Amino acid sequence: MPPLTPRPQLTSLLANSVLDRLQRLRIRPASRRTSRSRGEHLSGKGGTSTEFCDYRDYVPGDDTRFVDWNIFARLHRPYLKQFHKEEERHVVLLIDASASMKFEGKLDLGKQLAAAFGVLGLLNNERVSVYASHQANDSPDRLPPCRGRASMRNVFQFIESIDGRGDAPLDQAAERLLRHHSGRGVCVILSDFLTFGDLKRGFNLLHSAGLEPLGIQILSPREIDPDLASDLRLVDSETQETLDISTSSDLMNLYQEYRQGLERELALLCQRRAGRFLGISSEMPVETVLFDQLRRRGWIE
Amino acid sequence: MSWGGFQSLSHLWLAALIAPLVLFYFLKLKRPRAEVPSLVLWRQVLQDQRVNSPFQKFKRNLLLLLQLLLLSLLILAALKPFWRGGPGKERRLPVLLDCSASMGALDKPGGLSRLGEAKRRVREMIDGLASDQELCLVSFDNTARRRTGFTNNKRLLRDALDQIEVEDVTSDLEQALRLVQAIGRSEPFDEALLFSDGNFPPRVNFDLSFKLNYQKLAPAGPNIGITALSAQRAATGGWDVFVQIEGSADAEGNASVELTQDGGSMGNERITLARARAQRMVFQVKGDHAASLRVQLTPDGFDSLAADNTAYLDLPQNRDLRVFVPKSMISYRLALQGIAGIQLFPQNTDDTASGQFDLVMSDRPQDLSLTAQTRLSVGFIPDELQRFIETGTNGSTVVDWRRDAPVLQHVELADLAVLDQPRFTANAGEGDLENLGYEVLIHGQRGPLLVRKQDSASTRFALLFHSDHSTLPYRVGFPIFVANVVQIALQQAGLAEANADRTGVLPPLTLAPTHRYEIQAPEQALEPVTADEHGIVSGVRASRVGLYSISENGVTRQKLGASLLSPTETALGSVDQIQFNERLQVGAAAAVKSDRPLWPPLLLGGLGLLAVEWWFFQRKPGGWK
Repeated sequence: MPPLTPRPQLTSLLANSVLDRLQRLRIRPASRRTSRSRGEHLSGKGGTSTEFCDYRDYVPGDDTRFVDWNIFARLHRPYLKQFHKEEERHVVLLIDASASMKFEGKLDLGKQLAAAFGVLGLLNNERVSVYASHQANDSPDRLPPCRGRASMRNVFQFIESIDGRGDAPLDQAAERLLRHHSGRGVCVILSDFLTFGDLKRGFNLLHSAGLEPLGIQILSPREIDPDLASDLRLVDSETQETLDISTSSDLMNLYQEYRQGLERELALLCQRRAGRFLGISSEMPVETVLFDQLRRRGWIE
Repeated sequence: MSWGGFQSLSHLWLAALIAPLVLFYFLKLKRPRAEVPSLVLWRQVLQDQRVNSPFQKFKRNLLLLLQLLLLSLLILAALKPFWRGGPGKERRLPVLLDCSASMGALDKPGGLSRLGEAKRRVREMIDGLASDQELCLVSFDNTARRRTGFTNNKRLLRDALDQIEVEDVTSDLEQALRLVQAIGRSEPFDEALLFSDGNFPPRVNFDLSFKLNYQKLAPAGPNIGITALSAQRAATGGWDVFVQIEGSADAEGNASVELTQDGGSMGNERITLARARAQRMVFQVKGDHAASLRVQLTPDGFDSLAADNTAYLDLPQNRDLRVFVPKSMISYRLALQGIAGIQLFPQNTDDTASGQFDLVMSDRPQDLSLTAQTRLSVGFIPDELQRFIETGTNGSTVVDWRRDAPVLQHVELADLAVLDQPRFTANAGEGDLENLGYEVLIHGQRGPLLVRKQDSASTRFALLFHSDHSTLPYRVGFPIFVANVVQIALQQAGLAEANADRTGVLPPLTLAPTHRYEIQAPEQALEPVTADEHGIVSGVRASRVGLYSISENGVTRQKLGASLLSPTETALGSVDQIQFNERLQVGAAAAVKSDRPLWPPLLLGGLGLLAVEWWFFQRKPGGWK
């Protein structure tokens, strides 16, 4: 019997074991947001799927093929059987690839999560598109919507090629994303959300376009708990602007207050737009995020 | 009254350092750069109202404020601020330090001496000396000594202060004031400071020309000491040694007194001393040879002054008094025969004599050339007085006489008839005799009848009328007069009594003429002296209680003891007010508070601030975990 050769690694982003576990999972949106094109997600409206939904009175003009003849035989009144409509859902992955994401593995974790969400979408026959925002005035790099297991390699390649640079505000990235995108579904935003842009506007744009925002804020450990001392000149990695601070316990407490305030604001922005929010540290393993954090919160099932 | 001032106001230029400090702070030349992903949160934090509140702004610039505060403290320290202690600040201030024996008294067992306390206070003054102030240190005991001129040199003043030590002698404030007054003629001042325990006479014969600030030191503890030590020739041929023990006002208790002769114990007595009482003891000592006595007092309890616990006495060998009286002076010889301990010359029929005598009584001028310490000339006028006194024949009577003179004690001279008439020559008077060192003891109608000339080595009496030409030999007082002369001769020869030598100056020493000697004083270096052509060494300072050894080429020739023996020093008395001439009184003033320098606490504060600053900016933000 020939010796077993190890299976080649599909992508450098995720281990094969993670990919295997992802095959048994799917994205669980908070609301049904699907495109009218036929897909595998049941629509709230009646449809032609094989899954029974309800009965209703027959009205002239209805397709007589959906009359339940067994009931008509018993009640002598025609009732029409209704079935769920299975529609297609979009999974839009928006990766903040600005320079600020290069710190302490934030972009790496973001790319891993994007790959995982892409795999979930493709394996569930959803249309997956990936956007990576860099410069403020440029359109984000994008992978056009694709579907099916065969597109997995394209998705991996695109995500792997993303590098961190630029200073794109998130609202501008959302606006430019929607110039290319059509269709309803979920939009997974992987960012540190440390942007000078108007976050509310970006979420509004996505919501109005029929995308359920799933915000994942990835912060580095030093952003969560800065270890700064004495007088410092802080340099913005994106804009190279400087800011002089004199650290003190009060200032650091205020920073924590603002950071937690931003988390609450992001959570509120997502919830008000039928979305969800999760803040994680970049040092957290992707397996923990996927199979512990997201699963326990019902993002995937 | 101002609160104080600055001693080095010229260092104010250091305040200019504030400008570069602020400049460098705002240039932030050394602010380290730290790249962060985004400034979004930091900008929001810094725009927060709480951060921009005045207190937070203050905290934000805390480092600058701390540095400014630190620099300000250092500049202030460099300006040498001081807190004024006294009511005013004299530019020149002489400081008189009493270093007499009583200043060595301790306040408690193992405590500080009065001089130590005074030196401590003067050292404080030196430490707080302003740049425009000058001190002049003067120490005084029985003499005054200028230790430094007016100077601002603190090291010089401290060194001079350290050299001041207690001397076992009494104090003489008058001398000290005269010295200070002399200093003031060349370098004027308005006020002088006197540190003393007040152990000096309350009246000082001095015209105070400056303000005297009398800083009376706190009293010392109880003290018992020997205040007198003397010996008298006993009838048995030996010596009766008298020791007097006294104490300070608050001293009482038991003590032991031990007498040693040439190192061997001769007696040991226990005494109990009550307050304000004296104890007197008598020891018998044989007089067959010369002896050196030492009396040691050992109190049972605390004794604040040790210098008065030891006394020394040198006793000569007892012998008969050698007296020369010509055989023609029968009345004198008869009177002398009744006195014990006299060896009368001439003993044979020969009326001439040679050798040394203790007493010469003669009516022959040539006999005055005999060597004797006490001489009485009878019936002629000494050569040096002949210019002022002549002898008449009209007779004379006694007008008055010095009843307190030892030679005339218990001698009644009223109604004495004298056939001779000593009288002043024309234009001569008693003042002329005084100029020659003579003192008139018996005044006649026209001139003196008995005169005395006394110096350290001899005593000379001149009876200017012949006693055979008067009723004197027939009077009861005559043998008394002769006995008094004998007694004076005994004392002059050191055969009647001996007194312990006091500290201060050693008595004149009779040594080999023109020889060089070395005197070893207790706890002091050798002092070379040279005897004069008569072999006399005098004026040797004896400032310490103890034995003084006189040696020649390393061979000890003589030993002499000096003792304190001062009731005033032992009593540790203290004068609250000093009475000067013209009814001027100076009372003890409140303690002078020297200017307190403020720069040490400022410097310490600066260092403390530096430590706080280091801790504040090195600590982990949010506290240590």
